[in-house]
Amino acid sequence: MAHQAHSYHMVDPSPWPILGAAAALLTASGLTMWFHSNSPRLLIMGLISTILVMFQWWRDIVRESTFQGHHTPTVQKGLRYGMALFITSEAFFFLGFFWAFFHSSLAPTPELGGQWPPVGIKPLDPMDVPLLNTAILLASGVTVTWAHHSITEASRKQAIHALLLTVLLGFYFTALQAMEYYEAPFSIADGVYGSTFFVATGFHGLHVIIGSTFLLVCLLRLIKYHFTPSHHFGFEAAAWYWHFVDVVWLFLYISIYWWGS
Amino acid sequence: MAALGRASRLLLGAAAPRSLPARGVAAAAAHEEGGARMWKTLTFVVALPGVAVCMLNCYLKAQHEHERPEFVPYPHLRIRTKRFPWGDGNKTLFHNPHVNPLPTGYED
Repeated sequence: MAHQAHSYHMVDPSPWPILGAAAALLTASGLTMWFHSNSPRLLIMGLISTILVMFQWWRDIVRESTFQGHHTPTVQKGLRYGMALFITSEAFFFLGFFWAFFHSSLAPTPELGGQWPPVGIKPLDPMDVPLLNTAILLASGVTVTWAHHSITEASRKQAIHALLLTVLLGFYFTALQAMEYYEAPFSIADGVYGSTFFVATGFHGLHVIIGSTFLLVCLLRLIKYHFTPSHHFGFEAAAWYWHFVDVVWLFLYISIYWWGS
Repeated sequence: MAALGRASRLLLGAAAPRSLPARGVAAAAAHEEGGARMWKTLTFVVALPGVAVCMLNCYLKAQHEHERPEFVPYPHLRIRTKRFPWGDGNKTLFHNPHVNPLPTGYED
């Protein structure tokens, strides 16, 4: 069998990139069909195919790394750069929504009653459930760090407990936010207040769900002995993403929930 | 604090999961092997009790229910430029009839 004279991973041909693109096309056109032609069929096909591609692509990456050993330190370095750049791009994504919020709230127009919050809007009490959510995410940052140290110190039981706690805290946050959304006296259709509030917190909530799922996958892999004390980048990537989600929430809490009330 | 942890991991790569350098008494006092123990202690002494206190606070606040505000048909609220792609097109995704009035007023 021939050996490679370099430390990079020349990936075997895979159908997932092009199928992923097809899934994205189905989803985008599906959204259009749903909004304008009242038909959700294309959208459902798009969402299902997106999930299938994600599952199979990432499953293949786990096979290539954990079971086939293709992730040399060089490859891992590239993955680190990739994850860092991705998270940076997500930071810019949220920056846009914060820009929109400050644009509208720093100089409220006469249509809103010249004040922020606008006339007729009763904002959520920042010292109620939003404060609890802040405590939950900060606590989950502590537990995920406990999990990381446990992995590097080869404490399997502790790592599992810590990561499980982290995932549960993430789910608790999501459940509380869903309840807040239902109980809120204002909606997304309540002018620019509603738009900025629900789009910013909504995308954040989506990222909490994504992050919790990523951590849950890591928990399952941890239980199945995929990680070693010195090689566990999948977990590190999930932890980085989770810290990012936590930081975004802190900015949301301080600007929209607290200052904006 | 959490951002610092992320930054240190980014800068130090695989060597990262050590205690944060000299920031805070707890980190400075912890040894290499004690890293996980410190974070475990922080979890059960600070983080989770903090969550519990906030839960209690929410429970106490929920004891006195607020009356819902009177409906005023402000033109800058309850905007319906385009119908929603579900149901009768007039209700938001998380519509709660008790606290969310329609453009014409509360339903109940």
